[in-house]
Amino acid sequence: MVRIKERYLLVNIVYPPDATKISKARVPGLVAHHQPTVEKLTPQALVRAIRAEVSLLYGDYGAGALEGNLSVKYLSLATSTFILRCNRAHYQLLWSALTFMDRVPVKDGRPCIFRVVRVSGTIRKIEEVAVERARKLILAAKAEASAHPQSSLSTNILGTKEDAMLDVMDNAMSDEDMEDGS
Amino acid sequence: MLYDLNIAWSPATTTERLLQTLTTASSLGYATVALNHTLELPFPANPTTPFPSLPASSSSPDSKLPHVLHRATLPLADPAASNYRLPSLVGVYDLLAIRPLTEKAFQNACLTLDIPIISLDMAQHFPFYFRPKPCMAAVSRGVRFEICYSQALAADPRGRANFISNATNLIRATRGRGIILSSEAKNAFGLRAPADVVNLFNVWGLQSEKAMEGLRTIPRSVVVNEGMKRDGFRGVINIVQVVKKNPVEGDQTDDQSSATDQPGKRKNQKRKNGGEDAQPISKREAKKMKLAARAAASEKK
Repeated sequence: MVRIKERYLLVNIVYPPDATKISKARVPGLVAHHQPTVEKLTPQALVRAIRAEVSLLYGDYGAGALEGNLSVKYLSLATSTFILRCNRAHYQLLWSALTFMDRVPVKDGRPCIFRVVRVSGTIRKIEEVAVERARKLILAAKAEASAHPQSSLSTNILGTKEDAMLDVMDNAMSDEDMEDGS
Repeated sequence: MLYDLNIAWSPATTTERLLQTLTTASSLGYATVALNHTLELPFPANPTTPFPSLPASSSSPDSKLPHVLHRATLPLADPAASNYRLPSLVGVYDLLAIRPLTEKAFQNACLTLDIPIISLDMAQHFPFYFRPKPCMAAVSRGVRFEICYSQALAADPRGRANFISNATNLIRATRGRGIILSSEAKNAFGLRAPADVVNLFNVWGLQSEKAMEGLRTIPRSVVVNEGMKRDGFRGVINIVQVVKKNPVEGDQTDDQSSATDQPGKRKNQKRKNGGEDAQPISKREAKKMKLAARAAASEKK
C-alpha cells in the first residue's frame, strides 16, 4: 500500500502593531509583531474560516479538494502559531487561501497577516522548526529589550530573513544567493 | 535582499501609519522598500520631494526600518500630450514608473518611453490584450512590468477575477520574464511575506524561481540602474570604491610579473608572425632571402 502523501504548514499570525501604542508601551518591535492571540480562537473556528475562504476563492472544486483532509494539528494562542495538515496535491491552494485571509476568524477579530513559515512533509520537522523559532524569538526579544535603548543593537535573530525565506521554498535555490551581494 | 518597490503613499498618509507599514515590511523580511507617490496629471512645474523625513533607524531602536526609496508613478492616458517634464522629476525621485490607462499609452510605454517600470492597475478591466510582441520588446529594452498583489487582496470578487485574468495574461505574454512583484500596500495589512507572494503567483502560473527573481534580482537591477543614471558619470560609470595605494610591494610584484610575462609574449608574437610570414613565402624565396641576409652580414663584418 502507498501511504497518503501530506503536507504540513507551519503558520504564524503576525499583528502589525499600532505605531501610537508602541511608542507609549515601549515594547520591542519584535515582540509587538509577534503578539499572542487574545481572541478565543478554536481549531474548529479556524478550520471553518479556512474552508470558507477556500470555497470563496476556488468554489466547489477547492472545497472538495480539502474536504476531509484539512485539519489543525496544533494551535498555540500564546505564540500565535498553528500547524495545518492537508493533502499534498492541494497545499498551494490552502496556502493561497491563507494569504487572502486578513483577520482573526472570530467575531470582531483583529486584522492580521497569516504568514506561512515552513512547509514540510513530516510533522516532526515542522515541530522542530516551531520550537526553534519560538526559542530564537524569545532570545531575540530579550536581547532587544536588554539592549541600550539608544543603541540600535537589535540583533534580529529572527531576521536571518534570507534563510527563513529559503527554508519555506521547497525547491533548492541556493545559487540565488550569489546575486544579491550588494 | 528583498525588495518591495511600491508602498502606496499620499500626502494624507500619517507618519504613524507609514511607520507601522515600514516596520511590518521590515519584519516580514523586506530590506528595501520604495514609497510610491502617484502624481496627478497637471504635474507641478518644479516638483519638490513631498515625503516626510523618517526617523533614522538609530534613533528608534525598537522599530527597525528598511531602506527607503522614493518613487513617483505617472498615470498616462494620452501619449500625444507628452509634456511630462521628466528631467525635473528624475532629479527629485529615486524611481519613476508609469501607469498606462489606454492601449495607446501602453504601447507607447512599452516601445518608446524612457521609464523603467510599467505598473498596471490590474483590478480593473482593460479593453485590450497584452500582446506578446510589445511586451517582449519592452522586456528586452529593459523595461519591467510590475504586478501589485495588494490590489487583489483588497478587491471585491469582480476585481479579483479581473486581477487574476490580467496577471495570467501578462505572465503568458512575457513568459514570466521581467516581472517585478510588489505590494502597493495602503497599510500594513496589505503586505504579505515573500514566500506567500511567491506561492500565490505560482498558483497563477508564474514559476517560483521567476517569482523569486521578481522580488530580488529584477527590482535590484532597476534600483541600481536608476541610481547609476542619477549619480554616475553620464549614466555609465560610477566610482564605487577606490583601492588604496600599496606602494612598495605592489610595484615589486608588478615588475616581476611583467618581467616574466613579456618574453613569453614576445616569443608568442614572434612565432605568430613567423607563421604568418612563412605561409605566403615559398621555399625558394626564403632561401634567397636567407642568402641575401647572410651576404649583408658578411659585408658588414
